[in-house]
Amino acid sequence: MTTHPGSGPVGPLVHDPATLPADDNVNAYTFCVELKGSEWFLQKGKMIAYYGSMEFNGIGHGRLDRLVRTSFHSPLHASDWVVASGSGKMLLADRAFEVNSFDLEEGNLTIRSGNLLAFQPSLSLKQSIVPGFLTLIGTGKFVAASNGPVVFMEPPIRVDPQALVGWADCPSPCHHYDHGYMTGLMGGLRAMTGLGGASGEEHQFEFVGAGTVLLQSTETLMAEQATGAVPNEPGVPGGGGTPVHPGQPGGAPRLPGQLGDLQRRFGL
Amino acid sequence: MFRLQGSKVLAVDMTGDAVKAKNGSMVAYDGQMAFKKLSGGGEGIRGMVTRRITGEQMTLMEVRGQGTCWFADRASEINLVDLRGDKLFVESSNLLATDAGLRTGTSFTGLRGASQGNGLFTTTVEGHGQAAIMSDGPAVALRVGTQYPLTVDPGAYIAHQGDLRQSFQSGVTFRTYLGEGGGEAFQIRFEGDGVVYVQPSERNSIAGDV
Repeated sequence: MTTHPGSGPVGPLVHDPATLPADDNVNAYTFCVELKGSEWFLQKGKMIAYYGSMEFNGIGHGRLDRLVRTSFHSPLHASDWVVASGSGKMLLADRAFEVNSFDLEEGNLTIRSGNLLAFQPSLSLKQSIVPGFLTLIGTGKFVAASNGPVVFMEPPIRVDPQALVGWADCPSPCHHYDHGYMTGLMGGLRAMTGLGGASGEEHQFEFVGAGTVLLQSTETLMAEQATGAVPNEPGVPGGGGTPVHPGQPGGAPRLPGQLGDLQRRFGL
Repeated sequence: MFRLQGSKVLAVDMTGDAVKAKNGSMVAYDGQMAFKKLSGGGEGIRGMVTRRITGEQMTLMEVRGQGTCWFADRASEINLVDLRGDKLFVESSNLLATDAGLRTGTSFTGLRGASQGNGLFTTTVEGHGQAAIMSDGPAVALRVGTQYPLTVDPGAYIAHQGDLRQSFQSGVTFRTYLGEGGGEAFQIRFEGDGVVYVQPSERNSIAGDV
């Protein structure tokens, strides 16, 4: 008979403030943060319980200005984040997804914005150039959620877009399309319609260079967090500024990973 | 005798005795079993009327027999709770099975119920025996002592037992209306002596959005 931790045959293991771990997992789905007069950034609504006395304040709270100035550099995410301060132990969890903590030492890590749950203010949070991703820079601990356990891979590697959680130490992320997908009329039709033998795996993300790539073990994405818009400037990906290519129609910004338009594909 | 087989299936070994379980939650059995629907959760006419009025509806069945019976519900995680004369408060939707000797009833929860979107009433289980409660993700049991009160998010709360007082805390300030709330506007504070069960996931509740 197998039981998961926390529920032996004699009833569940009961935690109290002394037995809860400090800044570690309680089980695969719950993480415990210890605050000793310190602060943590966390995504809104991810606290499930706490011992001690704590305060949760929105980023806009005046008292936190200095903290926010040094470690929070994505103003467009401000409404999704709060600062927990006080002392005690706090449990974090997210929709029964697996949570894991990672340590960064003078490092950097880029992560899908919906997956990041909490981080220490010694790290600074910035919006990645890659839309929908956030970058953490510095030294400290952060907590991330994933659908299934996280797998660490070394580049060079090509990964499925839905399985990608993030990457660390700056390998270069780029799109990769299988050649057959790109050529000829039939290739174009297959790609647009999915009819006639598209395997669904023609498009991958490719990573080369030194670093680590983090993958989750399913292709079910976690709900996207609103990532906010980027400044409307030329040269900013997704910024909707002056079109980089004069031939490209204005209006809807080109989405990352989107193939050329039908007309262009068929040379019209 | 309740035991867990994996974390999502409850196995009950019976020798002529009975358990109460959520209607339709049997997935397999071995031996001789008789299933009987308990109208009104076996709480009699008064219990039935109370449940109907309070909206805390619960359809239970009584399973009696010789052998082993397995229960599961929508792949929820199952947690066993031992009761030694104390009272367990649990949402009827989170209750999977109890020993037949345990008494079930309804109680008024006040604002806590309203804040977690579960209504104003909750189910109580009391007596000596075992109960199985369900959660979205494995529940964490947290002890509350006189030295260390506990504050929980209403959306993650599933059950509590023991001698606990609960009070409702609201962190709604003018900032909440400016869209700069702390994200944890409603909290329940437990004081006294007992155990609180929370799940690693939050139900949709009004508290989750502010």
